[in-house]
Amino acid sequence: MTTNELTPKDKQELREKEQTREGRYYVPDVDIYENDQALWLRADMPGVDQQHVEVELENNVVTLLGQVSLQEYDGLSPLYTEYNVGHYQRRFTVGDVGRFDGEHIEARMTNGVLELKIPKARKALPRRIAVSAS
Amino acid sequence: MALISFSSNFEPLDRLLDLQRELDRFLRHPMGFELGPSAAGVYPPVNVFASQDGIVVRAEIPGIEAEGVHIEIEPRRLTISGERPSDRNEGGSYHRRERQFGRFSRTIQLPADLDAGKATAGSRNGVLTVRVPKLEAAKPRHIKIATA
Repeated sequence: MTTNELTPKDKQELREKEQTREGRYYVPDVDIYENDQALWLRADMPGVDQQHVEVELENNVVTLLGQVSLQEYDGLSPLYTEYNVGHYQRRFTVGDVGRFDGEHIEARMTNGVLELKIPKARKALPRRIAVSAS
Repeated sequence: MALISFSSNFEPLDRLLDLQRELDRFLRHPMGFELGPSAAGVYPPVNVFASQDGIVVRAEIPGIEAEGVHIEIEPRRLTISGERPSDRNEGGSYHRRERQFGRFSRTIQLPADLDAGKATAGSRNGVLTVRVPKLEAAKPRHIKIATA
């Protein structure tokens, strides 16, 4: 698996609806994984630090928002460019939201990757019932 | 450059938008910079900027630790290579798989007036930055006008 060659992908600009904030928004690449404990979401948002990422679960919609810092570009003038720089935003609808525990979502940023863990609600966790020997 | 700025809060955004415009303008003229052996279409995409004392090469490489990137610089060539290890889990099920993992290597040509020996590199929040200063001899000098 890890011997694949990486290929560049063009960033997709967000065309969801009119943004209330200024600036350009792009759609981050996302993996969504589910096991019996939680729903995991990993999003590539290079340039975004821990302080500038917002995650929200409202009704059944998860919103990811990452703001890039422009101070990194102070005093620089482009000579040659292949990719655009902008903020990131993406929304997902979570089916059957009652299965998840919205109060205990964990989020962390590592090297520009947001990892989100939405644990399953207690009632949705598989339960094992011990059978006692008589 | 904005002529009027209403509050200091607008400033970073203004800068972003200015940058974006510049980027867009240059995207339409991709021949402005000499690219070298591996051109566009090879991971990672790069942006090259001019700074006060040289050039700055940026590349977005999310999910890669600083130790996972190798940077090699020769007098007129910069090579960025490495591997993005997979963070996929076993068991359970994937609803979406859009992120990519694997090896990469990219070489770009550098202008001749740079001092490759003084290059520095850093990685922050998944963005790699390589700075290559100009040769002392290529830096602008102030020349005093002698009065007769």
